[in-house]
Amino acid sequence: MADAVLPPVKPVLAPPRRRVRWRQHTNMLVGGGILVAILLASIFADHLTPYGPLEQNLRNTLQPPSWAHPFGTDNFGRDIFTRVLHAAKLDLMICFLCVFFPWVLGTALGAVAGYFGGLVETIVMRIVDTFSAFPFLVMAIGIIAILGPGITSMYIALTLAGWSMYARIVRAEVLVVRQSEYVLAARALGYGHVRIMFGHILPNVITPTIIFAMTDIVLVILSTVSLSFLGLGVQPPTAEWGIILNEAKGFLLIAWWMVTLPGIVIVIVGLALSLFGDGVAQWLRERA
Amino acid sequence: MATVLGTAAGTVGTSAAPPILDVRSLTTTIPTARGTLTVVDDVSFAVAQGECFGLVGESGSGKSMTLRSILGLIPPPGRVASGEVRHAGRDLVRLSQRELNRIRGREIAMIVQDAVSALNPVYRIGRQIGEPMLEHRIVKGARSARARAVALMAKVGIPAPEKRVDDFPHQFSGGMCQRVVIATALACDPGLLLADEPTTALDVTIQDQILKLLVALQRDLGLSLLLVTHDMGVVAQTCQRVAVMYAGQIVELVRTDALFRQPRHPYTAGLLNCVPRLDGPAVRLKPIPGAPPDLAAPPSGCRFHPRCPLATEACRSQRPELVEVAPGHFSRCIRHHEMPPDLWKRLDA
Amino acid sequence: MPEPLLQVTGLSKHFGGHRGLVARLGGVPAPRLVAVDDVSFSIARGEIFSLVGESGSGKTTLGRTILRLVEPTSGHIVFDGTDITTLRPAQLRKARRQIQMIFQDPVSSLNPRLTVRQMLGEVLRVHAVRPASQVQARIAELLALVGLPADSIDRTPKHFSGGQRQRIGIARALAVEPRFIVADEPVSAVDVSVQSQIMNLLLDLRERLGLTLLFIAHDLSVVRYLSDRVGVMYLGRIVEVGSRDQLFSAPRHPYTRALLSAAPRPDPNHRATIAAITGEPPSPLNPPSGCHFHTRCPLATDLCRSVAPLPELVAPGHEVRCHHHDHAAVTA
Repeated sequence: MADAVLPPVKPVLAPPRRRVRWRQHTNMLVGGGILVAILLASIFADHLTPYGPLEQNLRNTLQPPSWAHPFGTDNFGRDIFTRVLHAAKLDLMICFLCVFFPWVLGTALGAVAGYFGGLVETIVMRIVDTFSAFPFLVMAIGIIAILGPGITSMYIALTLAGWSMYARIVRAEVLVVRQSEYVLAARALGYGHVRIMFGHILPNVITPTIIFAMTDIVLVILSTVSLSFLGLGVQPPTAEWGIILNEAKGFLLIAWWMVTLPGIVIVIVGLALSLFGDGVAQWLRERA
Repeated sequence: MATVLGTAAGTVGTSAAPPILDVRSLTTTIPTARGTLTVVDDVSFAVAQGECFGLVGESGSGKSMTLRSILGLIPPPGRVASGEVRHAGRDLVRLSQRELNRIRGREIAMIVQDAVSALNPVYRIGRQIGEPMLEHRIVKGARSARARAVALMAKVGIPAPEKRVDDFPHQFSGGMCQRVVIATALACDPGLLLADEPTTALDVTIQDQILKLLVALQRDLGLSLLLVTHDMGVVAQTCQRVAVMYAGQIVELVRTDALFRQPRHPYTAGLLNCVPRLDGPAVRLKPIPGAPPDLAAPPSGCRFHPRCPLATEACRSQRPELVEVAPGHFSRCIRHHEMPPDLWKRLDA
Repeated sequence: MPEPLLQVTGLSKHFGGHRGLVARLGGVPAPRLVAVDDVSFSIARGEIFSLVGESGSGKTTLGRTILRLVEPTSGHIVFDGTDITTLRPAQLRKARRQIQMIFQDPVSSLNPRLTVRQMLGEVLRVHAVRPASQVQARIAELLALVGLPADSIDRTPKHFSGGQRQRIGIARALAVEPRFIVADEPVSAVDVSVQSQIMNLLLDLRERLGLTLLFIAHDLSVVRYLSDRVGVMYLGRIVEVGSRDQLFSAPRHPYTRALLSAAPRPDPNHRATIAAITGEPPSPLNPPSGCHFHTRCPLATDLCRSVAPLPELVAPGHEVRCHHHDHAAVTA
């Protein structure tokens, strides 16, 4: 009897085999390819060039680009190509962490604000408003001014300056998802707040924050370089793009390569991050 | 074969006048990541002058897509792949978007399911009803458009039209919004009204009012109506003839009373048999097993065979044609003559 | 008469008013919406009780109040001898093992990222319904119970049809072995041919598991098919309650009669026996005085405009809130 009434139903759709169509993701591939190439070159820099990043050669200063020194040498006779290569891994790491920390902080606070509402939300969102009222770089410089220059200060400054947008995005998304029936269903099943927030709400609101992080990352790499250029971030003589540019600025008129060639590398990295970020964002949106 | 459906010869009980809409072998496809979906598959039917014709089916049966294909409103990359839509001596499928624009709203108007979002929230009601008249230049000047808007509002049963003509859509309830949408559709005196689930979003007492309004308008204005719905009850109370759609195809086409008296396709019979009734004895329903097919991978042969109690090897391998099984009664089932009247009732024996 | 499983007394839910969020932000007193207005009813063990009404009648809010997904403004809900309106959060979580909910929209009520295994496994673990070693076996058992194929266990909701998703929702509600289920329009979003599969499933589950159901719907024919008893709601009030046969064969409230007359019937020869109801349901923000239905009622008098009728027993188990229920019976 029951068998006639409850026919076994086959699922209508077989789970689609996900074929990644590479041609549609040119952006992500080109950008990602450049980044991976630069990162690999940076990690194996010791095998790629015979020089060290801090190795001085005072008999060979301010040499223009040549086969021995593709980017020329600086006023201490250091090989600029070697310095730029070594700097890449430091800069990309700082850049990644300075997106990661604000993402974690902002997402957590935004989720709490959106989920609980009321007084919690009011407090968090007023703090967000306060932080977003300052321009990004001005706020970062201000915080470093208080903490003193250095790499740790830079992490703290970029995190504090950057988290507020993530909090805003997540709160708005949580407000929507909180109303969804599957969250209501989770409540009806007697789940606790922590389980509902981390197990049921966050996974469904995280995509837009990653999309934003992908555009944020370009701003952050430029800020990292800028802060070090201003002497607020990484300190000399470490090989870092901002420092390389800073040291080169005095020789702009007599050694064009000292500024121009590292500058081009920074532009290419910025472009690659931008392409990669756009590609990832597009991919996430399609998947959603 | 298919042309028999399209001409007045196939429309039982109507005059010999040519049909106002004659759809022949219409096929609409939508390319997707999972392959090309044939959402409307070789659909042929004709709507006679002054007739209310129903297209009934479940979600994904292609009934709304058929309606949209008629007016060239399939969103790209979907397109009408083949077939004809004949109206007033022209084939609408071959017209350009510009030529279609002269017909849309003017000769063939459409009303949609969600009336509340069909109205633009920033414009007053009177202006929205008057806009198609001005666009198609059937009135001169805003003042006469407004006067006609008030008259139309009275005609569709909106109380105090001269006061409400200057209201905004948010001041109207869902049922009143649907009346406004109907008034807008009637603005240019179209001969044919396409209605896509016009009452699905409404409460039952309001649905009843809107259906009665549509029937009255059809009778009083000599309108022809093509009504898309999923509700057999709505069909029974409004349509003279009906086509039942399943997985993009018409599986049965006949006069409404004959459809309910003696369905000649197992799907129609099953559908009628699994709807609970408000009268008669409360017997246990016999559901159709399974679910409608995925159009990306439709079943071979007859699209209904995986759910059909009559299915044979032939149903799995041959694609059935829509054939005339009685005068004016068409069925896409090769075993229609073997179909017992209590097909679905015998299932649990 | 045996003690009912669920007894609702004088239940009201008001939204907005001076404490509302809108009022706080805008500084103006927000209009107060009386979604549920002094509702009382009881449901016997093993019974399917339906609440039927149009949008704005408060039936969904009432259903959610019973699980305290919405906090009632006043009134009592006694479930199996315990007043759940006064339970503290920890006790409430325990009570929710007894009372479960099935939702209308099988798409939005399932978390799109979880597979069936994760979804059901989570419920079983959180409530420790079964020892960990038996969780997988129980999941398979639940799938079989609701008629889903065993190979659907590792799929996410998007791979299922509407009817199958509704079965997943039912399996999830059944996972904690509840005794009472609130089903909020569980078949109104699924296709016609699948609707009866789900309805028969609910009837079979009631039989097999001894469930008690509160079924919320707007479709009268669905209500007639499933229910033992029915309550008709209009603007927050239950205007008529009785057994299925009393309500469908001898309705006494003019609104019930109008609803029955307006429902489209799959029968081309059917002719409505009473005149169609005119007008629109009034806004629940500003309900009419007296009997809420007087603005649309063919029998309305001055009495109806000024005095709200109280429930009157017209037959055993059949209550009507209408001053003119005798007249309504005569004109039937």
